[in-house]
Amino acid sequence: MASEDIAERALGKKPRIMAEESPLQSKFQEIGRALDLMNEKRERLVKASRDITIHSKKVIFAVHRVSGINKTAMLEQAERDLSAVRTNQVTRLAKELQGNDYWKFRRAYSPGLQEFVEAATTVEFVKSGQLLTLQQLNQSFANIKDAANKPFEVSIPDYILGVGDLTGELMRLAVSGIAAGERQAAISVCNLIRGLYEGFSMLPALQDNIRDWKTKSDVMLQSLIKVETACYNVHVRGLEYPPEMLASEFEYGEDDL
Amino acid sequence: MMSMVDGRAMEAQFEAFRVQLDDSGAVRERLRTVVADLDNVIRMMQASLLPVHHATLQGKEVLDKAKSYIPSLQKIYSQLSEIIRERPGQYYRYHDHWRSQTHTVVFLLAFVHWLDTQGLLSHREVETLLNVKSEEFSIDIEDYLIGLCNVSNELPRYVVNRVTAGDYDCPRQVSAFLSDLFSAFRILNLRNDLLRKRFDGLKYDLKKVEEVLYDVKIRGLMSTQATANPMES
Repeated sequence: MASEDIAERALGKKPRIMAEESPLQSKFQEIGRALDLMNEKRERLVKASRDITIHSKKVIFAVHRVSGINKTAMLEQAERDLSAVRTNQVTRLAKELQGNDYWKFRRAYSPGLQEFVEAATTVEFVKSGQLLTLQQLNQSFANIKDAANKPFEVSIPDYILGVGDLTGELMRLAVSGIAAGERQAAISVCNLIRGLYEGFSMLPALQDNIRDWKTKSDVMLQSLIKVETACYNVHVRGLEYPPEMLASEFEYGEDDL
Repeated sequence: MMSMVDGRAMEAQFEAFRVQLDDSGAVRERLRTVVADLDNVIRMMQASLLPVHHATLQGKEVLDKAKSYIPSLQKIYSQLSEIIRERPGQYYRYHDHWRSQTHTVVFLLAFVHWLDTQGLLSHREVETLLNVKSEEFSIDIEDYLIGLCNVSNELPRYVVNRVTAGDYDCPRQVSAFLSDLFSAFRILNLRNDLLRKRFDGLKYDLKKVEEVLYDVKIRGLMSTQATANPMES
């Protein structure tokens, strides 16, 4: 018995806690296995989510470097990078989920999906000036299946929160657009944020993420006011105002975590 | 140059979101109504159990009275599961609505069961008692475990009162049960969350019960036929 125990330890198996198990303890062995599986799954989801966040952020940074000359090539690259995130990380995430898991583990993977929504909508806006809809986004996920082989989709709350972050990116695009002399672009951005803010205002508070919802609505209004102020400055002072000075008024920073 | 934003498409999308979020809000509203009933039944059942702390004789009527609330619990849980069944896969979206109540329900059922049989009510037995086992609606395993921690929290008080009422064998039974439960919990790899915090409290319950056992034992108050203390082996 004792030598067996040592042999088991040497093999890296879990040591037995007691020589004799009570019925209660064998029941808990079963529960323990279920909890372990659950926690391991959660860890893998957190990791997939983090990887999605890292890669999505890279795409967003790349979009901010787009300028008139290299626009087409850089946007194509950004789309290829996004598509790589989809086929690698998002697919990996989806394979962990089925049935009740989607909402059960949402907190573990939701930050990554929100970041992906932010990246995908940013790319789309720079490309076409339009808001990528949830439906379009989920169509781009058409080949991604969950563990039960059902299509994997981004939920409304994750899409909404991701779009909330989009406004921060739009604000930066508008400000750098003004610096580059693209005044019309800034007005177009201003219109989109205004539309988004109006849309957000008519939604009931997002019960699924009530705290995030409140902070994001506030940040959104701040971004909108910044862009409106920028548009005002350009409008009133017109071309006399050196664009670089306008840009320097709107520091990069704060925003997304 | 960018084209103008298609405002109408955007508005249509937000309108669709509004409808769906309102719908989800309505589900929450229905759940809240049902859970308010659950709160009432829990309160009544909890009150009906209080006499176990002061009744001089081990009241079978007390347990029967407590058990008489089980059908009401079943009815409420079947209402909850009906609402959730209309939303396949979304159990955990709404779980917070009945989560803490379920901790108390598990506590009540498991405590009554222990008073009755001195044994532990299993997860499956909880689901059987509440009549909820299904794909879409079951009792979350962590909720079950937290309910058991509540049972442990109740036992030191119970032991003290039983001894005061002259039941000197009670501490031995309780300490055997609690130490078994404690070593069973130690099998689990818990992460840093509520359950872990509650588990960390179990050892204080065990300690209190052992102190009572000690008091009773050194004064020779326990019955002679069973003096083997499970903690000494």
